[in-house]
Amino acid sequence: MTSMVVGSNLLVDLLSGPRPAEWASLREAAEGRLEGRDLPTTKDEAWKYTDLKALAAIPFVAAPRATVDISAYLLPEMVGTRQVFVNGHHAPHASCASAVPAGVRFLPLSTASEACHALGTVKNGVTPELFEDLNSARFEDGAVILVPKNLKVALPLHLLFLTKADTPIAVFPRVLVVLEPGAELELVEEHHGEGTYLSCPVVEVRLGEGAILRHERVQRESPEAFHLGTLKAEVGRHGQYHSRTLSFGARFSRQHPWVRLAEGAEGTLDGLALLDDQQVADTHSFMHHAEPNAVSHQLHKCIVDGKARAIFNGQVRVAPGAQGTDAKQQSRNLLLSETARVDTKPQLEIYADDVKCSHGAAVGQLDPEELFYLESRGLNADDARNLLTYGFAADVLQRVPVASVRRALRQLVMARTQAASLGVLA
Amino acid sequence: MLSIKNLTASINGTPVLKGIDLDIKAGEIHAIMGPNGSGKSTLGKVLAGHPAYEVTGGEVLFEGRDLFSLAADERARAGLFMGFQHPIEVPGVSNSSFLRLAYNKKAEAEGRDELDPLEFDDFIHEKIKLVAMREEFLDRSLNEGFSGGEKKRNEILQMAVLEPKLAILDELDSGLDIDALRVLGDAVNRLQRADRALLIITHFPRILETIQPHHVHVLSGGRILKSAGKELALELEERGYDWVLEASAAGGAR
Ligand SMILES: Nc1ncnc2c1ncn2[C@@H]1O[C@H](COP(=O)(O)OP(=O)(O)OP(=O)(O)O)[C@@H](O)[C@H]1O
Ligand SMILES: [Mg+2]
Repeated sequence: MTSMVVGSNLLVDLLSGPRPAEWASLREAAEGRLEGRDLPTTKDEAWKYTDLKALAAIPFVAAPRATVDISAYLLPEMVGTRQVFVNGHHAPHASCASAVPAGVRFLPLSTASEACHALGTVKNGVTPELFEDLNSARFEDGAVILVPKNLKVALPLHLLFLTKADTPIAVFPRVLVVLEPGAELELVEEHHGEGTYLSCPVVEVRLGEGAILRHERVQRESPEAFHLGTLKAEVGRHGQYHSRTLSFGARFSRQHPWVRLAEGAEGTLDGLALLDDQQVADTHSFMHHAEPNAVSHQLHKCIVDGKARAIFNGQVRVAPGAQGTDAKQQSRNLLLSETARVDTKPQLEIYADDVKCSHGAAVGQLDPEELFYLESRGLNADDARNLLTYGFAADVLQRVPVASVRRALRQLVMARTQAASLGVLA
Repeated sequence: MLSIKNLTASINGTPVLKGIDLDIKAGEIHAIMGPNGSGKSTLGKVLAGHPAYEVTGGEVLFEGRDLFSLAADERARAGLFMGFQHPIEVPGVSNSSFLRLAYNKKAEAEGRDELDPLEFDDFIHEKIKLVAMREEFLDRSLNEGFSGGEKKRNEILQMAVLEPKLAILDELDSGLDIDALRVLGDAVNRLQRADRALLIITHFPRILETIQPHHVHVLSGGRILKSAGKELALELEERGYDWVLEASAAGGAR
């Protein structure tokens, strides 16, 4: 196809390849918006702390198929409820949906196009971010999950996106989750990889009235990876969307979670990021209280070491007429080195008067009183520091409902906080 | 066991302890009473090694060793324990894991065998009976969301696990209901032995009816103004502190 006029080589390279056949109108619309656009720079307010120069300098190309040994990634609760994607392509032999209950559709997009007319229809009313449009223009495959009315799915579903890059590649994982009214589901979405690559996942969620989705999102990309993710969730009346994003990998990651709450709905956007070396993790969230009496929770925690940098921008909008809104947002950050850096900002836009909105941001070191308490029980200063750092993160992890995921993440956090030697698997 | 000579200490440049002398022998129970702000908690924290307090003079020997040559954690492993007036909450660290860690650090220092999780399970179940703590508190994060009284109970559980030679209990009784006070007082008594000692900081004589002290000291303005037997606690309850302060000013209270 195409004679896109874009300033950055990145976009030219990525869009010069063939366009997959399905979803032509979605792709054309995205390409249309991309035309003439370029990578954001630090002059753009939303990107002022996150420099994409390093990304622009790498010649990413469309990802070839690859095979990966997935045995290390299997989770016992979900051996029969998993879909695996390698380099953005579905991996049928690594996937297994034998335990998915009847009535639930849990399929690769490539085999379920007729079921996916809803793809690209969760709209937040603003122009999609460039990376979302890139995904729409070029995604190869992804997953669709459809849960019929009132069905409560007992087993969690596992979405595994693996990337193996021998040379720099770009992958565009795509997910659509539709829960009909009264349905319930637990979803674990994981991103792992090796090598230098760009991953731009887009996850669309639509929840019918009273539907409940619990969504664990684990980002363990390779240390050389760039991860720029979009999440859009539309929550119907009295529905509940609870997500927790746990970021450990990637040289650079940016998350754009967006949630729209209808009347009486409940939304959770929790996050934990563990950063070291030169890592950058940026979250720009948007919690939209569109209708009355919705409740939202956000707890975003970062542990930042080395020369790493964390950015949190938490936008909360209470629409006119969204009376009875209850919105809570907390950003808590632990700096472990002199050179670590955190920029955190709440952004409240409140157009209704009968609302409860609370927000708080804290950036600091470990509390000397807590350290002394542990030392007074015989832990040396290093052990006390490591235990408190672990505790800061474990506080978020202990709420992860799937036991094997919780255990794996705890072990990861223990290793990263040097708490493993303490032998306190909480 | 503990010998304090002319101890002075300050916080943020403000002198708080202004010359404390105190001798505690093995097998003894001492109580310290005194007005708010007189320096009772400060004395406990200085002895336990809180880094914010500066020792400006004097000497403290613990079992013959210079206490101030030891860091806080070394003092703990050497057998010193302070029950906090306001215990700290530590989210994300389970109570039982923490207790096992503390136990094993001390065992390691004493050359005893460490306990694995199963062995520790048996061990801790005996200990929670001693303080009548419900099992669910073991799985919760350390002190997180505990009520004031539950935190105090957890302090005594830690004491029971660590079996210190010298325990300084700072206002164990504040925030405890009557039953909890009796249970924890009994537990402390059961932990007391001829080779151990206790320093009880309190405002109320009631706890001293259960944990009966051999000596009661009045601390005021950073000094010990009067020391006597356990009857002093009741006398203070009746008469307040003014008479001690006045007698001290007149040079006669001791
Ligand atoms: N961090 C601090 N900065 C300044 N002054 C302090 C600090 N900590 C304690 N002090 C002061 O030291 C004095 C002694 O405090 P301490 O806590 O030892 O009193 P206390 O006898 O335990 O009182 P209470 O009976 O109320 O517990 C008080 O005047 C207090 O204000
Ligand atoms: Mg005090």
